[in-house]
Amino acid sequence: MTGLATLASVVLQEGTNAAPAIPPLAAAALAVGLAAFGAGYAERGIGAAAVGAIAEDDSMFGRGLILTVLPETLVILALVVVFLTL
Amino acid sequence: MSLRIDEQAYEAGNYEYVTARVRSRRASLFDDDDYRKLVRMGPGEIARFMEETEYETEMNALGARHSGVDLVEFALNRNLAKHFEDLLRFAEGRLYDLIARYLRKFDAWNVKTVFRGIYSGATPEEIETDLIEAGELSGERLDRLAAAESIEDAVELLSGTIFEDELGPALEDYQDVGLLVPLENATDRAFYSTLLAGMPDTAEGDSPIGLYREFLQAEIDFRNLRNVLRLARSGADMDPTAYYIEGGRLFDEGQLRQLATNEEQIVEAVRTSPYGDDLEDALLVLEEADSLIEFEHAIQAALLEYSDTMSNRYPLSVCPVLAYILAKEREVDNVRAIARGREANLDPDEIERELVIL
Repeated sequence: MTGLATLASVVLQEGTNAAPAIPPLAAAALAVGLAAFGAGYAERGIGAAAVGAIAEDDSMFGRGLILTVLPETLVILALVVVFLTL
Repeated sequence: MSLRIDEQAYEAGNYEYVTARVRSRRASLFDDDDYRKLVRMGPGEIARFMEETEYETEMNALGARHSGVDLVEFALNRNLAKHFEDLLRFAEGRLYDLIARYLRKFDAWNVKTVFRGIYSGATPEEIETDLIEAGELSGERLDRLAAAESIEDAVELLSGTIFEDELGPALEDYQDVGLLVPLENATDRAFYSTLLAGMPDTAEGDSPIGLYREFLQAEIDFRNLRNVLRLARSGADMDPTAYYIEGGRLFDEGQLRQLATNEEQIVEAVRTSPYGDDLEDALLVLEEADSLIEFEHAIQAALLEYSDTMSNRYPLSVCPVLAYILAKEREVDNVRAIARGREANLDPDEIERELVIL
């Protein structure tokens, strides 16, 4: 029992001393990058559909544009994470 | 041409783009109000009405050469061809393959028209006006077909298409008997045999692909059903299996032979089949009325409704495209029926009964 406690304290100590594999700022950057990737993938489909709709009817341009960039909000939200870590 | 299909069938399709365009076009088809107006117009008024709609370009292009109801009809055909050609132009990969399967129906129609035209000694111009350039055969190939000197030349020109294999042996039959029937049957068989060829069997009944396969099977089944009903109605002493098309779910060949003589048995067989629920209304029509035409209209209305439901349930699939194709075909049929009906001085109510409206 005492052995286990010492082992746990050693492991925990080691955990606090070693630098994390991904430093906080790098992790935040990764988060933004992945969010942008997701947004890009979402926009692929929406953009294709929007261009199709605009080709049929010019008046759809504004609506198509707005819907196409909506997933961009994902990136903006991910940027918040960067400011939280700073 | 068929090579292109095989390579493409495994690439992903551009569903988003095509369905967006198709939905927009679906929305601009004639609605109930337009039909109600059209039914009360004279032939001249119909032509003028159409000049102000979707059909403007075609009406203007053909207006110099044709007039009256013929003008309306040719404009309808050409517009249909334009839109379906567009579908094939937009679509890529898997989606192209799926759409082309169904649109080859127009290839079969064109090939048969060419055969009949040459057989009856029509001029190339006359044949060309009756062609619908909606299928996979290019306009150039169709022009050369229409200009072919003889049936043999026309068959030769079709080498490399899906019709090649079936038409070869049929040509010998034709040369023996001098009738077009073997060639026409061969054309139909070529179309129906490629309809389902290579469709994945593993697709589940509830996925869009599975549903599309079911739709194509239904197309075959209804064709069989129509043939067998016609035989039963006319009482002709013919072997029903000669016109049987494989691949459907409704009849097999043995069943067909037994059923062909008795209409009540046919209706009963359909009622207990998987189509029983969907076709309930159509079957009632068939039992009450004596007309096959109304039964066919009921089948088409059932298909139209079904495809609309499917396109809402699976928005990014082939289903919306299918729903559009069916709706467009019905519109063209409807407007043609109205124009021809008005020309023959039919009553508006009578014409309205001829229309397929949801």
